[in-house]
Amino acid sequence: MKKVIALLLALVLVAAMLAGCSNKSAEPAGSQAPADSAAPADSAAPADSAAPADSAAPADSAAPADSAAPADSVAPSDEGRTVKVGLVCIGDENDQGYTFNFIRGKDAATDVLKAEGINVEWVVKYNLIEGDPVADANIELAEEGCEIIFNNSYGQEPAMLRVAADYPDVTFVGCTNEGSWKDDLDNTHNAFADIYEGRYVAGVAAGLKMQEMIDKGEITADQAVIGYVGAYSFAEVISGFTAYYLGARSVCPSATMKVQFVGSWSDATLEANAAAALCDAGCVMISQHSDNTTPATTAQTYGVFHTGYNNDMTGIAPEASIIGTRIDWTNYFVHAIECIANGTTLEQDYCQHGMADGDVVMTELNEAIAAEGTAAKLAEVEAGIKSGAIKVFDTSTFTVEGQEVTQAFAIDTDGDFAPDSEEAVFDGAFHESYFQSAPYFALQIDGIEWLNAAY
Amino acid sequence: MHEQKTPLIRLAKRGVMSPGRMWAIRGASFIVAILIGAILFLCLGHNPLEAYGTIVTGSLGKATAIRQTVKLAVPLLGTALALAPCFRMRYWNIGAEGQITAGAIAASYFALFWANRLSGPVLIPVMAVAGALFGGICALIPAFFKARWGTNETLFTLMMNYIVIGIVRWLQGGPWEGKPGSQIIPTFAKSAMLPKVFGIHIGWIIVLVLTVLMFIYMKYTKHGFEISVIGNSENTARYAGMNVGRIIMRTVFISGAICGLVGFVIVSGANGTLYDSAAGGVGFTAITVCWLAQLNPFAMVGISCLLGVLDKGADTLQTRMAVPASISDIITGIFLFCMLGCEFFINYRIILRGHKEAAEK
Repeated sequence: MKKVIALLLALVLVAAMLAGCSNKSAEPAGSQAPADSAAPADSAAPADSAAPADSAAPADSAAPADSAAPADSVAPSDEGRTVKVGLVCIGDENDQGYTFNFIRGKDAATDVLKAEGINVEWVVKYNLIEGDPVADANIELAEEGCEIIFNNSYGQEPAMLRVAADYPDVTFVGCTNEGSWKDDLDNTHNAFADIYEGRYVAGVAAGLKMQEMIDKGEITADQAVIGYVGAYSFAEVISGFTAYYLGARSVCPSATMKVQFVGSWSDATLEANAAAALCDAGCVMISQHSDNTTPATTAQTYGVFHTGYNNDMTGIAPEASIIGTRIDWTNYFVHAIECIANGTTLEQDYCQHGMADGDVVMTELNEAIAAEGTAAKLAEVEAGIKSGAIKVFDTSTFTVEGQEVTQAFAIDTDGDFAPDSEEAVFDGAFHESYFQSAPYFALQIDGIEWLNAAY
Repeated sequence: MHEQKTPLIRLAKRGVMSPGRMWAIRGASFIVAILIGAILFLCLGHNPLEAYGTIVTGSLGKATAIRQTVKLAVPLLGTALALAPCFRMRYWNIGAEGQITAGAIAASYFALFWANRLSGPVLIPVMAVAGALFGGICALIPAFFKARWGTNETLFTLMMNYIVIGIVRWLQGGPWEGKPGSQIIPTFAKSAMLPKVFGIHIGWIIVLVLTVLMFIYMKYTKHGFEISVIGNSENTARYAGMNVGRIIMRTVFISGAICGLVGFVIVSGANGTLYDSAAGGVGFTAITVCWLAQLNPFAMVGISCLLGVLDKGADTLQTRMAVPASISDIITGIFLFCMLGCEFFINYRIILRGHKEAAEK
């Protein structure tokens, strides 16, 4: 027995020695920190004095995936204001897709705001999908003094809304959802950009490629089949692939599309399997509304083409991926944080912001594999969308069960999840994301085959 | 007889150890855990004192922080209590996660479809009873097979977890889905949510009452006695004329029912809705709580609070000091490992070669 205690004590001693050693070795590393970070302004708790050490860490883009972003650029300058901002993410930047796109927007917004004299201190929480853990993260961020908290995924909103009522002075944003602007709280907001515009342009690039293949005799006209990997049969997804299809068909009239739903927003293996199944079914072009890059790599393996979402996937699949589209969250982050810093009112729903404002952008065109003349055509289409000359959901370009669409509601007011107010079809087009930022186009148009609608 | 070389290190079962020594070992293991954690923080370039300070202030520093910590501890305690009689009986119920979820499903059914037909004071008890019943039934299935045909309950209860969670996934995407395609079940009406006392849903009162009840049940009732007899020797129980199968099923039903009640507390108190990972691993962590507490209900209160503190503190650690979330998990793991590991030193002693094997009494 004594031996055991002696052994433990010895362990303790060794540990203490080690502790002493590494303490010394840690200090020089810390002293590489910028000198001005010596005194953080808000020393509410003793723990805050750790901030200087943090800023010694390399730029946060290099940080491990699940780490909190180091409080970058905290160094309080004399002039300007520091805003503490929370960001709750469904995944982490390792997805190279959805959450990565938010982190990219966050970093860009930080630089823009810094130039304006507004310092942003970010606190990021990762891998929170839904439910009580999301509520806990929002409470944690609010308690730690964040003035505005962004929740980056649809499923987080219900939990966020439960918390928001208890913190009326904190601004809460549910990205991509629609419950916050409708509720009776003033501090809850929604935001989404008109991504369907980017989808349409990506579709044009895909259509041009398929038409070129038809013209060269590589495929027949009726082999111009697009395979689409969709997460769920959800309005946001339906709106996206319909826009994409209409873009493709505008330049390749014989194009048809098959949609394979995955049943998950982010599951690399299932997405790859869905893409493979679509390739096996004869699709020559793959696109996706899911978070990972596996549809792109699968397309490359099968020797077919691909257009991406959320990120430039031409690097990972250079022989397949032609172009991608993504929301650039920089504008919204800058706008929202400016509102907080300047004390102005942030609109409850950040609506009708698309390509014209730079909120939706195309990734770089893969000239090596794109059809000839794609760049010029895309520039023309983009200009058309920005000016309003091209309407993505022009009702004369598609039919539902053989009929032109003349009536469709946009907003649900009675809570049964079926839209019942605000006529979306007018002036010859379905007006997507016009009455609210979250997409509401959920029509099943002719030419698109849903392979599995169970999701 | 072969001449065998004595191994360098041998283990021997200990006899009875004085409580003082036992607690000395446990205290030492706690200190070791703190020190290993400190090394980890140093490697990451953080001051360990600050890190531990953050864990404590983050979980207990403010009223709101304490509330969050208690909220995390409530389901852990409830589930550990549920598992205690099973483990005492040496019935390895690994299915708490599924039983919690089953209770959550039943409670959610009433919250979603009966909220406009029943008033709050009736609805909440109905949800609780439904949750308990459903959790109990879910646990009873493997118990029945065990009692009847002697199937392995460890695998059976484990597999049941995935079935129940699969049912929730189906409900989420199917009949209970809110907005088409969203995979999200709508949030409950206010009347289906547990009321709060001191800012925390009354689940904490429920589990504290359960703690006392479970202590009495295990220690002072005939049932409790039967459970420990079966745990020690099934044959003895049979020889004494106990209906072993019935007692197993009864005990496991009670265990599952408490798990179901925890499921009700989780959806009605914390989540306000149902989703596939609503149980959030509590069913597995509670196994650790249960053993750390040596199946003692009152010790479970302390252990689950400690885990709550670590959990909430680690969250704040990530917020304030930018410590990766996985590091927080590692710290929790180190604590659990050391605390469970020290039980080894309580039960066994190490004999080095060349030392006489003196019976330590």
